[in-house]
Amino acid sequence: MFRKLYLLYGLLTLGTAAFGQYRGWSLDTINQLKNVPKSVRDNPGSYRSVYSGYHHYTGGK
Amino acid sequence: MSTSAPPPPPPPLSPRPRTAGLNCPKCGAAISLRSFGQAITVVCGGCHSILDAKDPNLAILQQFEAITSVAKPLIPLGARGKLRGTDYEVTGFQRRSIQVDGISYTWQEYVLFNPYKGIRYLSEYNGHWNDISICKTLPTADFGGATYLGENYKHFQSAEANTDFVLGEFPWQVRVGEKAAVTDYVHPPRVLASEKLDKEVTWSIGEYMYGREIWDSFKLPGDPPKAWGVYENQPSTVATNVTGVWVAFAGFAVFLLVLMAVFDMHAKKAPVFNHTYQFNRAEAKNEPSFVSDEFELTGGTATVEVKSYAAVDNHWIYLNYALINQDSGQAWDFGREVSYYHGYDSDGSWHEGKQADDVTIPSVPAGHYYLRIEPEVDPSLATISYTVDVIRDVPVLGIYGIAFVALLLPALLISWRAYTFERSRWSESDHPPVQMSSSSGDDE
Repeated sequence: MFRKLYLLYGLLTLGTAAFGQYRGWSLDTINQLKNVPKSVRDNPGSYRSVYSGYHHYTGGK
Repeated sequence: MSTSAPPPPPPPLSPRPRTAGLNCPKCGAAISLRSFGQAITVVCGGCHSILDAKDPNLAILQQFEAITSVAKPLIPLGARGKLRGTDYEVTGFQRRSIQVDGISYTWQEYVLFNPYKGIRYLSEYNGHWNDISICKTLPTADFGGATYLGENYKHFQSAEANTDFVLGEFPWQVRVGEKAAVTDYVHPPRVLASEKLDKEVTWSIGEYMYGREIWDSFKLPGDPPKAWGVYENQPSTVATNVTGVWVAFAGFAVFLLVLMAVFDMHAKKAPVFNHTYQFNRAEAKNEPSFVSDEFELTGGTATVEVKSYAAVDNHWIYLNYALINQDSGQAWDFGREVSYYHGYDSDGSWHEGKQADDVTIPSVPAGHYYLRIEPEVDPSLATISYTVDVIRDVPVLGIYGIAFVALLLPALLISWRAYTFERSRWSESDHPPVQMSSSSGDDE
């Protein structure tokens, strides 16, 4: 029974991996936005990134 | 030429056969003989006298003290049931024990009788049951194991079994206090047992049964006692699948490699944009953000990789990106830091970070795109150049990594379960997998 379940699970895993690769899945987290106004092209400052003002790393060891 | 008349058929088990009514010569209690000529001894339920069933006067062979050691059979004497397709009646019951390291382990045995099939036995230990019959051929045994009907059995345990309590009829001269050298060999779900009494060796073969089967067979009320621990010949629900699971895992891993090679070959990995920008703090004072030239992403929905490179040296640069679809207004917003630090201290030389960074944007449809870039730079830097590369349709190796781990974990889990099951089984044997160390503190 375990073997049959594992076979099914393995096929599903491989299928998911193949589908993900085909559809271009990624492991990186990217924030998606819709309906960004066309005016951004001419006025980049009108758009503010959600990551803007992020407190950055400021030194090594 | 003479012909002999065929022997009369044995009496049928159903309806209930007649039993021979006798009285105990010791206490006068009524004694019923159920197994006809098969019984050699019969035990009085009233005074626990062991009587000679072959003697018309029921001579007393032994009387044992059972005041403090009365054991109640889980299956009452006289109970009838269909076991593996054959009707049987419980005619005898005995409790036996072995001593291991000063601990007494007790189990129960039931004598079952069918006038056509003869005698067989049921044993019960901690809720684990075995259907036992006498071997039809002689097994061969050596130090490590035994062979019976072409099947190899591993030696499990040798011990001296003591008969503690008896009740009902027995097809041998049963005695309380009788000691027999017993050796068990296992090949789950079967157990091969030899029992040596004086110079006589009896071999029997048992097959593991679940309490529920016994209860259903004899239509006993309630539930069977819960099985505790792992019994010597208890079949493992996972052990038989371990090899198959690992074979399947190997197949899946190979298939995963093939999948990776195929997708890697078919991935376009097409550079669609490349530009080197110069950050100038003085110029970026008012509005540092800007947009790139437009570029086209072709094909179906696929990944987009954005690579950033900056020759930072003990500095950082942070790039706020937005990949914007010019036609639909859909945007992917992300920020990437490029930083590289290095130095030397009491531990030696060290370094952190890299001068390059890459990120993969998932499921980006075809279309016309541009990048909005808003750089933030280490305040100690006045100018720095950085390069942005955009590559269409790159394979994501991490997906294969996750799939590999997802395939590996259940195989490991099943193997671990099988291992712990077998470990529990053999920990009760003469061959425990790991010798338990005493907690006397000798290792200090």
